[in-house]
Amino acid sequence: MSSSKRITKEYGELENDPIPGVTIKPIDQDMYNWDIEMSGPAGTPYANGTFKVRLTLPTEYPFKPPTIAFKTKIYHPNVSNDDKGNMCLGMLRTDDWKPSCKLRTVLTLAMKLLNEPDTNDAVETSIVEQMKSNHDAYVQRAKEWTKTYAV
Amino acid sequence: MTSATSPNPAPVFDIRALTYVTHVDDNLCCPICQSPLVEPFTTSCRHTFCSECITNALKASKTCPVDRTPLDTKNINMAPVVLANLVNDLTVLCPNHRDGLGCTATLPRGNVEGHLKEDCLYVTVACPGCEEKIMRKDLQDDVCVHVEEECSYCSGMHRKLDMKEHETVCPGLTTPCKFCGNECPRPQIPNHEAICDEAIVSCDAASVGCPWHGLRKESTDHSTSCPLMHIRPLLEENNSRLANLEHENKLLRRRLELSLVARAQTDIAESMDDQTIRVLTEQEHIRSDLERLYVSMQEMDIKQNMLSMHMSDNMRTKEEVAMIGAAVNNLRTQLHGLQLLMFRRQGLDQNGSGGARPTGASSQAGDNSVLGHARRMSDMPSGDRVKL
Repeated sequence: MSSSKRITKEYGELENDPIPGVTIKPIDQDMYNWDIEMSGPAGTPYANGTFKVRLTLPTEYPFKPPTIAFKTKIYHPNVSNDDKGNMCLGMLRTDDWKPSCKLRTVLTLAMKLLNEPDTNDAVETSIVEQMKSNHDAYVQRAKEWTKTYAV
Repeated sequence: MTSATSPNPAPVFDIRALTYVTHVDDNLCCPICQSPLVEPFTTSCRHTFCSECITNALKASKTCPVDRTPLDTKNINMAPVVLANLVNDLTVLCPNHRDGLGCTATLPRGNVEGHLKEDCLYVTVACPGCEEKIMRKDLQDDVCVHVEEECSYCSGMHRKLDMKEHETVCPGLTTPCKFCGNECPRPQIPNHEAICDEAIVSCDAASVGCPWHGLRKESTDHSTSCPLMHIRPLLEENNSRLANLEHENKLLRRRLELSLVARAQTDIAESMDDQTIRVLTEQEHIRSDLERLYVSMQEMDIKQNMLSMHMSDNMRTKEEVAMIGAAVNNLRTQLHGLQLLMFRRQGLDQNGSGGARPTGASSQAGDNSVLGHARRMSDMPSGDRVKL
């Protein structure tokens, strides 16, 4: 009960004052699943891409953390390269989550990761290796994926 | 304290669903529910939450929801009174406010409960006469509002509760016409408005672009002078023809698109046929090649089998040859021994021609034994020879 009220409130705030590059689709019935579109920031290999993201809130929200999953494939060290596409955000781990944390902060941080991937907290270690050894190849590959899947 | 309609249960309302009239400072909001604090409680790490929120949070995790300091229920205490007063003095709308209809009261949050209990006209209370639920605004002097009484204008029977609503439509009452201002019985208003001379009407040629609006009594004068009225039939006919043509055009275009699509599909099918035939013939070729290969492979197999048979025969022969070689070697050593013996005997014979005779007899016997042994060797069956 209390979770739905807070979710409605946060949704309203994000609707009135959206985060640049983040579009939240209207909630029809299920307020625990948000469909979001993130625009690839200019100057990154993800530029011009529109990435579909699913934000899932547990019924125990805000006492349990939400999860962020990329529905659009993305070549990014912090997004798992499988059918789940889970984004690895430190603050979303069950042990590190704080109920006082707002969805605005979560989404802002997710957007920041698109801008600059966090190589210290990656799920796709092979991409991190590539970024270190051959950065141009990483950029090339990420651009190709963006063009194939997100444009 | 209690009103005339009591006993009423304490009003139930969701304090977090209240609408605040003014902007509420974020510092007065609970970090968990994000709403202005309700019954604020402060932790030992000096963070403040609603009592309900912090209780639920501690059920989920025994840490502070803001800084994750380990916490227990004994580490939380009521926040200072000044804070509780601050949040309870925030101005809110009555929970029964609705757009257009409803309670319009604005009041401090702390007074909402009292307002609902005593004053709000939009709270349901029991009717004093029959205990049915009615809104407080419909209460009338402690009498039952569900009893029917006669309308003083139309003599119809209506419940006291519905009388005000009835009066807005009562046919016994007259209403002034909104155009000419003459009083008219209510049921006749629509008929009157259709012919009222003061009513505002538009020109009959408005559908073909005449902008004229005016009183009905002036519309006949306008009609005679309106140029659009004269060409109206022509324009309307043109319009209908245009609409027909547009419709026809749309149909034709669709048909054209359909036939184009069908044409493209047959083209694709034809080119597909060519390709399929080529692929099929190629497949036939490959199949016959395969069969030929299979036959030659079988021949090869047979040859290989024969070869391996020959090989094993060969091996056996080789073994036999080796054994025969060994037997020959043996024979050669024996022959050598015999030759030695012969030489020795010849030597003895030469010595014996000058010595005693008896020794000759003994050497004769020895010679015989050696010769006998040699004969035995040669008499052996070929099978035993292999063993040597």
